[in-house]
Amino acid sequence: MNKTAYINDRLYELNTGETILSFVKRHMNDKAIPTLCDAPNLDPFGACRVCSVDVAMEAGGKTKTLASCHTPVSENSYIYTDTDNIHRLRKNIIELVLTDHPLDCLTCEVNGNCELQDVAAQVGIRDVRYPAGDNHLHYEKDKSHPYMTSDLSKCINCYRCVRACDEVQGEFILSMSGRGFDSKIIKGLDNSFMDSDCVSCGACAQACPTSAISDVFQSKSVTSAEKTRTICTYCGVGCNLEVSTKNGEILSIQAPYEAEANQGHTCLKGRYAFKFYNHPDRLKSPMIKKNGKLEEVSWEEVYNHLAQKFTSIKKEHGPDAIAGISSARTPNEENYLMQKFMRAVIGTNNIDCCARVCHSPTALGMQRTFGTGAATNSIEDLDHTDCILICGANPTDAHPVTGARIKQTAMKGATLIVIDPRRIELAKYAQHHLQLRPGTNVALLNMMMYYIFSAGLEDKEFLDKRCEDHEMLREKILGLDIDEMEQITGVEKEKVKAAAIAYASANAAMEFHGLGVTEQSQGTFTVMQLADLAMITGNIGKKGAGVNPLRGQNNVQGAADMGAQPHQGAGYHDVTDPILNERYNTFYGTKVPQHIGYKIPEMFNAAINGDLKSMWIIGEDVVQTDPNTNKVMKALSSLDMLVVQELFMTETAKMADVLLPGASFLEKSGTFTNGERRIQKVQQVVEPIKGTKSDGQIIIDVMNRMGYQQPDYTPDGVLAEISQIVPFFAGVTWNNLGENGKQWPVAKDGTDSKMIHIEEFKRGKGKLYYFDFKESPEIEEHGKDYPYIITTNRELEHYNCGAMTRRTGNVELLTEDVLLIHPNDAKANHIEDGDMVCVESPRGKVDIKSFVTNEVKPGILSSTFHFPEVMLNIITSDVTDTEALCPEYKVVSCRIRKSKGKYKSV
Amino acid sequence: MSKNLSELSGRKGVEENLFDKMGKLAIETGAPSEEDLETLANEFLIGKSTAFGTTTFYDFLKPENKGKKAYACNGSACLCAGTQPAVIAQLKTKFKAEEIGHMTCLGRCHENSAFYYNGTNYSGNSIKNIDEIVTNKSQKIDSYHCEAVGNVVLTETYEGLANHYAPFKSALKKDPTKILEEIKTSGIRGRGGAGFPMGSKLEFCKNVDNETKFIICNADEGDPGAYSDRYLLEQRPHSVLFGMMISGYVTGASWGILYIRAEYPESVAIIENAIQELRDADLIGENIDESGFNFDLKVIQAQGSYICGEETALINSIEGQRPEVRVRPPYPAVQGLFNKPTVVNNVETLAAVHFIIKNGGSAYAEIGTGKSTGTKLICLDSFFNRPGVYEIEMGVSLNSVINDLGQGFKEPVKALHIGGPLGGIVPEKKFGDLTIDFESFSTNGFLLGHASVVSIPETFPMIEYLEHLFDFASYESCGKCFPCRLGTKRGQELMTKAITGEHKIDRYLLEDLLHTLEVGSLCAHGGGIPLPIKNTLAYFDDELSDYFAN
Repeated sequence: MNKTAYINDRLYELNTGETILSFVKRHMNDKAIPTLCDAPNLDPFGACRVCSVDVAMEAGGKTKTLASCHTPVSENSYIYTDTDNIHRLRKNIIELVLTDHPLDCLTCEVNGNCELQDVAAQVGIRDVRYPAGDNHLHYEKDKSHPYMTSDLSKCINCYRCVRACDEVQGEFILSMSGRGFDSKIIKGLDNSFMDSDCVSCGACAQACPTSAISDVFQSKSVTSAEKTRTICTYCGVGCNLEVSTKNGEILSIQAPYEAEANQGHTCLKGRYAFKFYNHPDRLKSPMIKKNGKLEEVSWEEVYNHLAQKFTSIKKEHGPDAIAGISSARTPNEENYLMQKFMRAVIGTNNIDCCARVCHSPTALGMQRTFGTGAATNSIEDLDHTDCILICGANPTDAHPVTGARIKQTAMKGATLIVIDPRRIELAKYAQHHLQLRPGTNVALLNMMMYYIFSAGLEDKEFLDKRCEDHEMLREKILGLDIDEMEQITGVEKEKVKAAAIAYASANAAMEFHGLGVTEQSQGTFTVMQLADLAMITGNIGKKGAGVNPLRGQNNVQGAADMGAQPHQGAGYHDVTDPILNERYNTFYGTKVPQHIGYKIPEMFNAAINGDLKSMWIIGEDVVQTDPNTNKVMKALSSLDMLVVQELFMTETAKMADVLLPGASFLEKSGTFTNGERRIQKVQQVVEPIKGTKSDGQIIIDVMNRMGYQQPDYTPDGVLAEISQIVPFFAGVTWNNLGENGKQWPVAKDGTDSKMIHIEEFKRGKGKLYYFDFKESPEIEEHGKDYPYIITTNRELEHYNCGAMTRRTGNVELLTEDVLLIHPNDAKANHIEDGDMVCVESPRGKVDIKSFVTNEVKPGILSSTFHFPEVMLNIITSDVTDTEALCPEYKVVSCRIRKSKGKYKSV
Repeated sequence: MSKNLSELSGRKGVEENLFDKMGKLAIETGAPSEEDLETLANEFLIGKSTAFGTTTFYDFLKPENKGKKAYACNGSACLCAGTQPAVIAQLKTKFKAEEIGHMTCLGRCHENSAFYYNGTNYSGNSIKNIDEIVTNKSQKIDSYHCEAVGNVVLTETYEGLANHYAPFKSALKKDPTKILEEIKTSGIRGRGGAGFPMGSKLEFCKNVDNETKFIICNADEGDPGAYSDRYLLEQRPHSVLFGMMISGYVTGASWGILYIRAEYPESVAIIENAIQELRDADLIGENIDESGFNFDLKVIQAQGSYICGEETALINSIEGQRPEVRVRPPYPAVQGLFNKPTVVNNVETLAAVHFIIKNGGSAYAEIGTGKSTGTKLICLDSFFNRPGVYEIEMGVSLNSVINDLGQGFKEPVKALHIGGPLGGIVPEKKFGDLTIDFESFSTNGFLLGHASVVSIPETFPMIEYLEHLFDFASYESCGKCFPCRLGTKRGQELMTKAITGEHKIDRYLLEDLLHTLEVGSLCAHGGGIPLPIKNTLAYFDDELSDYFAN
């Protein structure tokens, strides 16, 4: 028999532990009890007391007035939501609130969408009887920030902003000052938004029930006519966004509370950095280079030109003289079409995507060890973990919503281990920060395993039952010279030991990794070691555990799933396998080549060698973001025809022979697959701006022009085609994805998978590998002459080459790339904070402004490549991961000196 | 409250306490500098806003406190005694006006004229020697009458460390459950005001499975008129500490924290000295008396905020959060200090434990009225012919307290404000109806509270006392819940405007306001202030009617 209680004398079932508020809302409706300080994603707080109800413990018994938001329902209690007593109380509280609130509703930004206004109307307040007294109507507006605004004269002291900053983002930028009647919301030490350390996530603005804290887009105003739910383009978290539009123009963005991927939260990129979409810089017409100059042409002309050129190059040099780089920022459907174009229409496997330069080692390494190149668990598993190991990732900047969730988990008491050369934000919250020398992950993870085996903390049962080669691994690991490893990594062995024991002793330990793992010469090996670590401790196939790559771009997972890689087609089928090849041939109705194509770095080499004649690059600024800029530029200029499909005139677009104006994520439909394998619907918010087309349609137009029959682009149509060839998409349809998408593998009946490798690994048994640490060739060859190591990173405000974010208010928040340098190194080189520094590597030199900080160790430098003004990749190297050919952005030998002039030799 | 901030603050343990550090940073100048706050924020990862927000809450940490040199008491007893204008005038001969602040009740209600200077409290005739105090830092020992009537529990003579702690040592040899049984048998109820059975509280905490637990002594005796806790802290420090140590043993807590108000500098020094004695005698620390029980004690000095006497606000305060009242559940016994199980007990409650452990729970239960067992300290202000601290058995008549112990009033008194600012106002005609116990007070529409007694003389206008109460409630409101933050302020304004004649009080509005405060407030601060106001309206209608519009 379930527990019950009465609401207004009617009996209802109750859930153990639920509050009266949730009980009543569940059985009646959302507005059955008015509230002001309660919010869907915040803990009960009990400030406004408007939610009070009368409760008796027996029929007709004496009632007590209780705040419903924080009082658990007592079994068999009698709850009265609407008595005269409650009416009187609610009305009188609102009357008190209105004694210190401006009565200018008609001109207020949130008029019609103000919770105070709603509640006042609900309780029927007519006048304020108190004589005029002290008030706070004189507070001035804060308009200092490109996004955030505040007008504390409208503040009702519900603390929702303070709690959002704490419980959602975990930043503590907001608090209250003073006490009692004069308590007032503060930012930092009572600064402006701009002068505070605010990360502009906007959680406070979304939480505020009035217009006291808002944003420049007035996202709570009701002027919008339409709301469209779509998925953010800025990283692999896959935040759901609710975009408000009016007359075909985007007004603002909020985060839906019921979204599983982001639970009402998002970051400043997702929420605020959308103004790039109709920026005047958008490319608005196809262009063809004529007499060395890009000229606007019609779509008709550009399609004819492309069809004719591709055909002639193919005829003259063979299909392998053409290569494509698909975009991990575009939907699955467009990636699928692009690889299909290259394979079925051109007839080459020369298709790759930016996963090459970020997570190709993850896909490869996890395929080798587990059988599947994707996250084993879901982000929601953070609620079930008691240890988090972050290796080579900086989630609070690069995956802010997951970063915030990790921080929340750590602040709730989970053990946090950070392996990173930088003292990243999360390292401050970590019990164990192993600050290793860049490029020594393999040595460090071997040390971790050494201490786990030495202490006998491995999960023997799991190893026996589910893994192979563990005796080999154990033997190799225990044979290591641990002092040598300590020397190599620069991390005291006792620290590694403590972290290893913490990880291995946890009931459920969860790994996250990022580009600090993959973008190294031993990247794939490191991924495999992370898999080893999870397997030897039995952290696979259970909640709160697993190996979870934080995918960089929004659809890196999807681009690889769709076959935008040269060795595997759609659904990860090996292109060299004759049976699978036959499947593709039948499905595409053409002959698909059976030899592996070029990976991106190989494409550049082939172009320089003259083997590659044409490239079609979609949404990827390889000049600014691929390593060794000068070489990339040399490669691109060696081509007969460079086709670039872009939103803006990027550094790569500038070199194009043919330029195709694509559409942004806000202008098209399709699906993105986030880092936890969640396929979610991207839904067109506005029409592509005049002169542009959706990227999928452009590809289809060219396919048709070249004689391959492909129906016009519809997201459901292409998805239906994909579900027939990609096995783990078998049960995916546009309609059954619903609001929150599905996590692949999706069975035919539509059942999806929060976790994989539960009973057994995709490949059967999990395979353990051992790897010796090997110094990067970069250090071996250049370490002596170039004694510093620069390791590249990302900043919260910008996304990759910055083509989008630099065309939003974000550029006011972070204006340039800077060089992180340790105070000792700065001093030794006579560099003061803010001085320009010349950083020179064997490839070239760049000038960059210094930022003196303890975030890096002596000898280590760090910087970003968000800005073309610096072009940091001039100095990065050609060294790649030995297995997946992912470039080694993280270990670059260099030397520094205080700059005399400007060295940007592009 | 923030669970995250509780966790972050707790990461540094009790030794490296955030709030303690904030207090120390204010010693030099009266408020921590912005640079210091930034350093603290980085050290504890709590954000600058938290550091700033917390310090601006407290009278003795907020930026406005910078440069204050002397503080005059503005508690109810000193107000009624009318001594403070003269004190302030005298202080002004030595200090600039902006160098003089206020402290609400220094616990010198027995002789008034109270002020604080340079870490010491003064009262009575001391203000006349202000020249000497400032030049020679002379100190006058505070003395007041102290007497027990009937069974002696709280005022028992201290017999030296070894004798005093012998029952503790023997307790360590027994099962904690046995000790808890004694406390439950005693029937002792919390003396802080709410009267919750101590044994139940300890039992809740004992039953929670957690390696880390805390015992907190609430020594934030903020009620104007009360100085009985001060008496115990200064005169019977080892009784208080004993009670904490036993509580620790019963619940499995390994830390005891005494949260002592800043207005009692002498209490802090005396308790710290007593803790040192325990440490020297190995009565605290690791593996006490080979029992396997670890327990240590630490004093944390409050920084001037009445609301910190509320247990959840007190917990937030120790954590260095803004001392805003938390919602319950979770109850502190389950999730308290640093999110760990915590028992908060009043000084007087803890001090009674020595008797219970030494003589057994039933010996204690035999004293008093059955529902209100044991003895109670009661403190009388300077309107009595014999002010002082008295230990009486629960159930003694109020008239006997007034006439036998206090030996009557020095001048005509029309009402007693008993039990602190949130206690009832007992008019003279009701004196004969009351006995000193929880039940008698509540059935008569009053509140025993902490049993402080402030006399309101015939000459003192009740409308001004109402203004004082609302003003105090508003000034000390934490500001978290809407009814209290706004309601106490508007109440004060209604009274002030009535006094000045600017606006007569709308009776219905005042009734609505009192209803909102009483049933709507989050804690007993906003919820309690209507009681004395309603008492006054009920018993002094004649005196007040001119101030009302209807």
